[in-house]
Amino acid sequence: MERSPVAVDQNFSGATGDFPALLRSKGLLASAVIAPTQDAGTPQKVWQPTEATTILAFKFLGGVLVAGDRRATAGNTVVYDRADKVLEIDRHSIMAIAGVPATAWEMARVLEHSFQYFRRTQLQEMSVDGKVRALSKLLRDNFGFVMQGVGVVVPIFATYDSHPKPETRLYFYDAMGAQFEATDYAATGSGSPAVRGILYYENNWGAKPLHKLSEDEAVSIALRALDTAAESDTSTGGVDRMGRIYPIIKIVSREGITTFPENKIAAVFKETVA
Amino acid sequence: MIEEPYRWVEAIANRREYIEAQLASGSPITALGYRDGILFLTIGQTRQKIFEIYDRIAMGAIGHPGDIERLRMAAIELASTEGFTRSAADVSLRRLVHYSLSPVMKSAFEQVYGPPYLARMLFAEVGERPSEDLFLRVEYDGEIATKGATYAQVRQDFAVLSGTRQSGELMEAFLKSQHAADASFEATLNSALEAWSIGHMSLQDSDSNELPERTAVVKYRQEQLANRGIEAALLERDASRAIRFRSLPDTELRSLIND
Repeated sequence: MERSPVAVDQNFSGATGDFPALLRSKGLLASAVIAPTQDAGTPQKVWQPTEATTILAFKFLGGVLVAGDRRATAGNTVVYDRADKVLEIDRHSIMAIAGVPATAWEMARVLEHSFQYFRRTQLQEMSVDGKVRALSKLLRDNFGFVMQGVGVVVPIFATYDSHPKPETRLYFYDAMGAQFEATDYAATGSGSPAVRGILYYENNWGAKPLHKLSEDEAVSIALRALDTAAESDTSTGGVDRMGRIYPIIKIVSREGITTFPENKIAAVFKETVA
Repeated sequence: MIEEPYRWVEAIANRREYIEAQLASGSPITALGYRDGILFLTIGQTRQKIFEIYDRIAMGAIGHPGDIERLRMAAIELASTEGFTRSAADVSLRRLVHYSLSPVMKSAFEQVYGPPYLARMLFAEVGERPSEDLFLRVEYDGEIATKGATYAQVRQDFAVLSGTRQSGELMEAFLKSQHAADASFEATLNSALEAWSIGHMSLQDSDSNELPERTAVVKYRQEQLANRGIEAALLERDASRAIRFRSLPDTELRSLIND
């Protein structure tokens, strides 16, 4: 008998609020199968991660700042200079992505719907730990594609947790889905070694540790870090002085997410960076 | 039994009588469109009765909790899948109810060897303007009433749901004369509370089919509110946010009640 368009059996995914499971049951979300190992004799291809971008996030006085450059590349070609890699998932959560945009944006979409689906079906908000784990699971499910050399995504996740203690939380991941909570800062993408160096230096020997920075000071350091990354990494856009294209900077705090407006970024840039 | 058409009709009639009796004590729910959105409201229930379905869609229901849950989950599932594969703008209450929920409820109702859905539901979808708001009431047999009325009738900016037809009609008669689509939030809240009181009074005393005196309604409302809570939610018209549903806590509303 044909299944009714309204799922009414006891195993419907609504009972657990698992949106990816719902998509899978309708054939709308394919998990990648890890490719079988090649025949002995043919040389194994060495997996090369390609996360051509720079994303950084750190905690400051007003919450967590998340910044990303705007360049999208394919090999050594720049395909787009206004890409948005800092994505709002819900009112208090940001996922910033380094990696293959097609996979990353799809992942963000699944994640966004997962949180809302959970809240609507279960009548309660998903916990921060649950959200962090949901992203981890998506990365894990995607690992087959990563092994095949397509679809690697290495995100940062920033959110505000009101329970048990009100505070901002910051996580970074590896391509297999392991999650790490960052106490002060996190960076990902091809330009991240330079950024990590700057943030480490600022946090330990700068004028102030990162968590004591004001909003303008935080934005200034984010811009300097991205500009430094762009200096040596061709895949990072940094600040386009000619085209006046600035990085995307968003802040997560108790009040929700605010996007730092471009004209204010331009002002901070002019005063402290350029 | 159902090989004979006469028996089938009889079985359906019995079933209808049984379901109506089960639903008869269901406490009223109102959904009122106003300037800044749509207000869902009911008073003093032990279970939650007003739910978020999708970005711009909410639902109120009376009936058996198990059946309400199954239908609610199905509605969320369909809306979420559509919103994910296409876009949130493609999720439409009209399609959801007409193409998915109603046919399923009808066939469950008419298959006399299987269980029907013991539920009556009220859906609303907020539009950019009050004239674009959509209200749909779905009965246990799949029947759909639009705007709380039919296509042949003048459009209304509200809809109600109650245990009995008489209670619902009294509430509609009151709202038709008292409620306007451009009303403020405060006026809408007070109309909703009064409409609920009228509907609930009718459930207690089903003999009278005329609107009660205003003083009696106010007194009844005060008595009810003295020891029961208000359950209310908004679908906001403000387009700056994707998710329009917001629960309103009882304490936020009490100070806005007149007399």
